[in-house]
This record gives sequence, structure tokens and C-alpha cells, in this order.
Amino acid sequence: MIAGVFAMFEVDIAFRHIRSRRRQTMFSVMAVALAVAIIIISMSMMSGFMKTIIDVTVENQPHITVSPKEGEDYIYLYHGFEDYVLGQEGVVAVSSYYEGEAALQYRHNVEGAMLLGVNPEDEDRLMNVTGDMVAGDFNSLTGSGSRIILGSKLARNLDVDIGDTVTAKFPGSDPTDFKITGIFQTGTPVDETLAYANLRRVQDFYGQSDIITGMDIRLSDIYEAENHAEVIDRETGYDATSWMELNSEILNLIATQEQFVYIFYVMIFAISGFGIANTLIMIVMEKVAEIGILLAMGTSRRSILFIFLLEAGILGLAGVIIGSVLGYISDIVLLSYSIPVPPDIYFGMDHLPLLIVPKNFIIAGLFAMAINMIAGLFPARRASKMDPVEAIHSV
Amino acid sequence: MSDEKIIQIRNLTKIYENGVEIRAIDNVDMDIETGEFLAIVGPSGSGKSTLLHQIALLDTPTSGTILLKGEDTTKMSDKQRSRMRNEELGFIFQYHHLLPDFNALENVMIPLLIKGIRRSEAKKVALQLLEEVGLIDRADHRTNQLSGGQNQRVAIARALVNRPSIVIGDEPTGNLDTKNSDSIYELLRHLNREHKQTFILVTHDLSMAAKTDRIITLVDGKIAEDSRNVSPT
Repeated sequence: MIAGVFAMFEVDIAFRHIRSRRRQTMFSVMAVALAVAIIIISMSMMSGFMKTIIDVTVENQPHITVSPKEGEDYIYLYHGFEDYVLGQEGVVAVSSYYEGEAALQYRHNVEGAMLLGVNPEDEDRLMNVTGDMVAGDFNSLTGSGSRIILGSKLARNLDVDIGDTVTAKFPGSDPTDFKITGIFQTGTPVDETLAYANLRRVQDFYGQSDIITGMDIRLSDIYEAENHAEVIDRETGYDATSWMELNSEILNLIATQEQFVYIFYVMIFAISGFGIANTLIMIVMEKVAEIGILLAMGTSRRSILFIFLLEAGILGLAGVIIGSVLGYISDIVLLSYSIPVPPDIYFGMDHLPLLIVPKNFIIAGLFAMAINMIAGLFPARRASKMDPVEAIHSV
Repeated sequence: MSDEKIIQIRNLTKIYENGVEIRAIDNVDMDIETGEFLAIVGPSGSGKSTLLHQIALLDTPTSGTILLKGEDTTKMSDKQRSRMRNEELGFIFQYHHLLPDFNALENVMIPLLIKGIRRSEAKKVALQLLEEVGLIDRADHRTNQLSGGQNQRVAIARALVNRPSIVIGDEPTGNLDTKNSDSIYELLRHLNREHKQTFILVTHDLSMAAKTDRIITLVDGKIAEDSRNVSPT
């Protein structure tokens, strides 16, 4: 076989068969193409949805949160631990914090709040709070005196604005006045509860020395979070939790949804597979005598099987190629239109998220090819099992 | 004519069981020599087509043996039988059965391609065969552009392209008028003399049978008469 696979007569016969039923093969190819295109669009939506959820989650959460050792309430001597974590490869930022509850009062308004004492520079590097600021400056927390930055809803509930002073109260602590120097808005529920202050001030407020209640970590690769958390856990004994673990419920939900969607994919492909099978059955029926003659001329049954499987493969491949192009174009068109969706249902997304991922094209293509070959198997086997005498005299 | 027996049939029986048992071929013994030009005749249902299909390796007998060139074909695998059909046997049917999606030249090339011969070489040989059957100028025509007689000539070229030692014809002229029939017969006879190939024809046409070397008459699956023609044309 010097001239390669294309010189094989089986290939020649397969192509001629397909050309002899041009209209019908066109329709079955289009059925496969449409199935592939629909599934690529659907997968692009899933990918976009997934990515948006992960982005939103990761944007508003540290990648790893470290809590005190079991049975302890605080992390003592945290500076050395901070250096250790920063020394790890892939760690971008570390922020130590003291978190406590407090009641914030402004005139007659009182709201419960989560008071988070941080080193503003570290926290900003970790969470990019500066990007969420709607008024004031996050780094103003470094200034002298007791300063506080409130979430936008918390500020609205207290009916306060920049420049006002709120009083923080906690049983066993002296009531302390904090001057509001900024307001932030993340679009998540923390806007209603979180208040930032300087770490040193918050430790003082709760009457503590230089200790922290936890540490947040940001990584260059978010998917390394689980590994890093495990290393920290093992090497230091502190309780490190990755964002995946923290959000396991929603991630599981998405994974479950994906499984259901795959069932639909199989069904859509099965429908297109029937189109291929139908076309091949028609060709086999039309070519019964020809199959008989080919057998009489010494074509092996294996070659006959190969011819018709090849036809299924050619039709399937054409469908996959056309479908991929169709899916890609549709993705681009859909992206340019930015279809609006209700944000309260879609995790704060205001338009349909779409992400074009090469992997989706490969999965859809392989999936379609596999189902088409299975669809081709039945007619191909039927052709290869024919009795040549009956086949030749069938005309 | 050589005395070498190219086909040896022993105790050949073919039974079809389709509710009732039908003995299509009943214990037939027969020898055919290399280069013979032989006709099998008999009434409808006498088993002549069944016998032909057995010799052609298109069907397997219920019992008995068929030796082609000394090899027992009843013990061969499907693959071996396929190769035997391709290389040693040539078929001509009542209908030409050319592949409609291929032109005359390509149709003649197919047995060569099945054998695994390179396309360029196959084309050369196929053109030579079309020349022999007198259709070299119709090489690129398809079956629907050719007459019945022309199609049958292409089918003959296809049957002979691998230079098989045995050529089998199942009513090869059954679908043609007398004039075309005669010319096809002349062509087969010519090729038989030219290449010393063995020809076995099943036919209804007694005037054609009368022109062969040997006539075997089958009745009810048995050989009723086996006569040698003393003055074949």
C-alpha cells in the first residue's frame, strides 16, 4: 500500500456511495452538524457560567483561609507563620486578620457587624478592596485615630456617610468611636455586615495583644488551592481551607447539573445518529446486488464492513466539521449580542455568560463521531453478512 | 488440451431446508479439465445454478468436496475463499452488475484493486482488457451510457482481468438479443482459445450449448447426461 490509505478501493467505493445519494447524505450531515453546533453552544454557556461563578467566588473570597489549631481560638506569633506562607511558591498575597462581632451605633440606629481588623496594604493586595470602594480610600485605615470602612448596605442601614462617626460596642470592651473614612460595595452579602478597621485598633478594642483569629491567602493559580491548603495543614497544624472546600456545595451543584446536561447531549447525538444510520441503511439496501458482486469478486467481508463504517465516518466527520464552524460562529454572534438575564437568578450576572473553550469542540466532536460510528455499525454489519448469491439475484 | 483436472467434484450434495427438504444437488461427481469450454444445461430447478454457485465458492455444500487446482475448497476459511474468488475465478452474470458509480475502466480495475495491485498498474491491465473486448473507446462511459451488449462486454473484461483460471457464466447472454448473444459467445470462445482458461457456462440457450466442447445435463440435482461435442465451433 505505497500510495497510502486513499488509494484503497474501499475508500473509493465509500466516497462514490456518498456522492450517489447527495441529497440524503447532505441532510444527515446537517443533522449531525446541527447537533454538534447546539451542543457546542450549550457547552460554551456552561463553561461561561462555570467560569463566571468561579470568578465571582474567587474574586470575593480568599483562595485559602487559615484558622487556628484545633481547640485554640487564636493564632499566636503569627509573623513567623506569615513569612513561612509567603515563602511558599505560588503565594501572591497574605493577610492576617482579627475578626470579631460588634454592634455599631449611629444615633438611634444599631446594626450588628463583623468587625475585621486588617493590615490595609495586605488586605488590599489580597482582595483588591480598593476596586470595590464607592467612597473614600481603603488605605485611609493606616491613618491615625480609629477609622472604619463600612459595606454599602451596612452604611445605608445605619444611615451614615463618610465623615460620620459610629460607636462600636462589645460586651466586656469599652465602647469606641470610629470615624467612617470609606464605603465599599462587592455586590455580595458581606456588604450588609462587614466593617474594616486597622488590625491594631481592633485588637485593642477586644483587649487582646498582637494575635490574630485567621489568615487569608491568595495564589497565582486558584486550582492549586487544595494542594497548598493540604501542605499548610500538614506542616503547621493550622486548619487551612481552600475556596473549593468552602464552596463545595455550589461546585457540587454545578457538577450535578453538568451530568444532567450530558444526558441531553447523548439524546441529541442519538437523534443525529439515527439520521446517519438511516442514510446508511438506504445505501446498503440500494447496493445489495453491488455488495454481492463485490463479495463474488473476492472482496472480504471485513472490507465490506470497512466500506460502510468508512461511510459513517465520512458523514460524521463532515457533520462535526460543519457543526464546529457553525457552533463557533453562533458563539461569536451570541457573545456580540450580550443577551440579558435576570441577575437575582444568575448569581449576579446581568448577561448570558459564554466562553469559547477548545476542549468543548474536541469533546463534542469525539462524542459525535463515537455515536455516528455506533450508528453505522448496524447497517455495516448487515452489509458484511450478506449471502452473495441472494444479494446478486436480488435485482 | 491438457489432461490436468482443474476441478474435481466428489459426492457433492446441497440440501435446502426450508420447511421441506430440497435436494438441489444430489451426490454429484464431476471432473473438469483445464481449458475446457463447458455448458451446464437443464430445466428450471434442476440445480444447475446451485452447482455453479458451489464451484464459484459463493455457497457451501451440505456434504462432499470440491477441489480447485487440487485444493479442497470446503476446508478453506472465508478469507482463503475470498482470495480464491478474486484470483482464480471470474464471474459473468445474466445482468452485468457493473457498479453504477464507476465508469467502465474503473469497473474493470476493481478486481485488481481488491487484489492489492497499484492503481497505475491496474489501469494499464484494465485498458488492455477493454481493448480485448473491443470497448477501449468507451473506457470513461458509465453503465447508463452503454448498451446491454456493451455492458456485458465490460463485465466480461472485469471477470477476466485477474486472468482467472476458471471463468463462470450464469446465463451470460440470457439478457441479450440473438445478435449480441452470438457476438458475446464468439468473444468468450476467442478468449478461451487465446488464454487456455476454463469456461463453465450455465445456459438455457441450447443452440449456444451445442457450440461448446461438452454439455452436462442436470435433472433433479443429478447428472442425467454428460456428452462431449465432437465438432465444436
